[in-house]
Amino acid sequence: MNVGIAQGERNPNSSWLNSRGVWLTYIILVFVLHFILLSIPYITTSVAWTLTTTIHNLCNYYLFHVVKGAPWETSDQGRARRFTFWEQIDDGIQWTGTRKFLQIVPVVLFFIASFYTKYDKTHFLINLATMLLAVVPKFPIFFGVRLLDINRY
Amino acid sequence: MTVRDPTPVPEHPSLEEVYEATPFSEAFWTYVNYIILNIFGWFRDFLRRTRIENRKGSAEYNPSGFVPLYQSYESFYTRNVYQRIADCFNRPIGGVPGGKLDLMERVTEDYNWSFNFTGNKITTINLGSYNYLGFANNNGPIADNVIESIKENGLATASSTQEFGNLKQHRKLESLVAQFLGTEDAIAFGMGFATNALNISSLCGKGCLILSDELNHTSLVLGARLSGAVIKVYKHNDMKHLERLLRDSIVSGQPRTHRPWQKILIIVEGVYSMEGSLCKLPELIELKKKYRAYLYLDEAHSIGAMGSRGRGVVDYWKCDVNDVDVLMGTFTKSFAAAGGYIAGKKELIDHIRINSHACAYAISMSPPVVEQIISVLNLLIDDDETREGRKRINQLAWNTRYFRQRLSKMGFIVYGHPHSPVVPALLYSPSKIAAFNREMLKRGVSVVTVGFPATPLVLGRVRFCLSASHTKEMLDDVLKYAEEVGDLLNMRQSKLNPKKPFHETELIAH
Repeated sequence: MNVGIAQGERNPNSSWLNSRGVWLTYIILVFVLHFILLSIPYITTSVAWTLTTTIHNLCNYYLFHVVKGAPWETSDQGRARRFTFWEQIDDGIQWTGTRKFLQIVPVVLFFIASFYTKYDKTHFLINLATMLLAVVPKFPIFFGVRLLDINRY
Repeated sequence: MTVRDPTPVPEHPSLEEVYEATPFSEAFWTYVNYIILNIFGWFRDFLRRTRIENRKGSAEYNPSGFVPLYQSYESFYTRNVYQRIADCFNRPIGGVPGGKLDLMERVTEDYNWSFNFTGNKITTINLGSYNYLGFANNNGPIADNVIESIKENGLATASSTQEFGNLKQHRKLESLVAQFLGTEDAIAFGMGFATNALNISSLCGKGCLILSDELNHTSLVLGARLSGAVIKVYKHNDMKHLERLLRDSIVSGQPRTHRPWQKILIIVEGVYSMEGSLCKLPELIELKKKYRAYLYLDEAHSIGAMGSRGRGVVDYWKCDVNDVDVLMGTFTKSFAAAGGYIAGKKELIDHIRINSHACAYAISMSPPVVEQIISVLNLLIDDDETREGRKRINQLAWNTRYFRQRLSKMGFIVYGHPHSPVVPALLYSPSKIAAFNREMLKRGVSVVTVGFPATPLVLGRVRFCLSASHTKEMLDDVLKYAEEVGDLLNMRQSKLNPKKPFHETELIAH
């Protein structure tokens, strides 16, 4: 029990994405990443957008669905240790504002990337694949599911 | 100890607590701060795992074939964020933490993984101790009383209250506490945390409902969980939410069986130490009477510190003591001792004497500590304005108003009630927390800075704890240094009180 804390919140991971300014910061940072990529000379706009969406979706998948537990000692006696970050948000309640926001962002990025790559086939396939990787694990039907026992413990 | 203003400060209980919204730029840069710390954390952990870098923290020796006991990810924050600024916390002190404090100077050669003492002592103005009435001394008449008491009664009773641990001194202490607060009876325990944790279960059990404030202290949370009652949390100081919860709970009854609740207990604190806010006692009493619930008031930080006579928030809000069912408090903060008490009607205290876990199993309060509290209480009960007790209470009240007014006029974003002696000024980001702490130490002021996870993610803060042993000169020095450091760190961003330099913020009559 972390007696140094004054409050009784069990796992701060459940609520920090609701703090002031997180969503806007998230969007700003995605665009910062995009501008950094655009400033590299040999990358065209379409490649830059595909790279942005790919990097964003891969990081999204890793940080939300592969990493489990919390990076600090929680006072919930280890209940959250088996859960990925996505499952810990808002203590597992589905369809809250944060969850909806996080599910929409990869889809919107996919639309923007498709537009800027002029619907080219290879780009489309790459973007679609990474978008599915980022969006499908967030469905409520996959809450707590570990396919093929990967990442179970 | 000199008193600047001998006339008592007029007390108007005020309802205005202002919590200024976080400026977006501060929040943004705080998130970027955390992201950079995270990126470097992952990188360094990678280096440590592949043994390119030495592992300096304690690591588990994991024999093959055994499941690991600890997840190293759990201490990610400790290794990569806390350790970088660890020289700001847990500093060894070299003397009594009064108005001035001697810190042992220490240096680190390996970036806060280990420290060495240089042998020097730094004298600092102490704004980090809960020394509200300035009784933290190791010489003087009270200390003499305590030493006498050690010679007469020994150091420990070595027995629980229900067996042989109840001395005449304890009964005297309890009747003094009851007289001080204006209740029928009181009981004292050796440890403040344990008073909450062990006694709530003798008041509530299965079939009861506990409504506790969001920001209640860990001891109250633990006590509530140990009792086995159903716990519902309401938003901090939000009386509408509390009323809604009360109505919904009474209507729907216990879960599954829908029987009426045996008891409903509302647990609040007098002063919340992280926010500096006060509970809204008049509204709470009104709610409790309307819905026939009971009220448990934890006055850990407010007893001795609030109120025109120092009797806590009940005195501050000018409410009737009999309206609050259970008054709890600690002797750690204003009384410079240790331990806690519960006060209330005689039937309640008799019940606790028989049924409390602490009375049956825990050792009773140590006699010298009892003597310290008795001496302090004798000073505080005295209503004479020219005597020590009232002078200290008035000095603290004056200090509080002075410091808070000037600090917020200088443009700092300050949370909390205008009359609470705990003053949090917001810093937002973890780097600023460390920087403020170190810069103030360079200028000879020791402060307590707190960040995540003790506070919400973006709301790191510095918490000034005022004391009656601070003189106006000390506070002026602190304010001047805070102005310098605040400019260095760009802290003075309040929109409600646009920043002004120190000399323009003269105090107008409270």
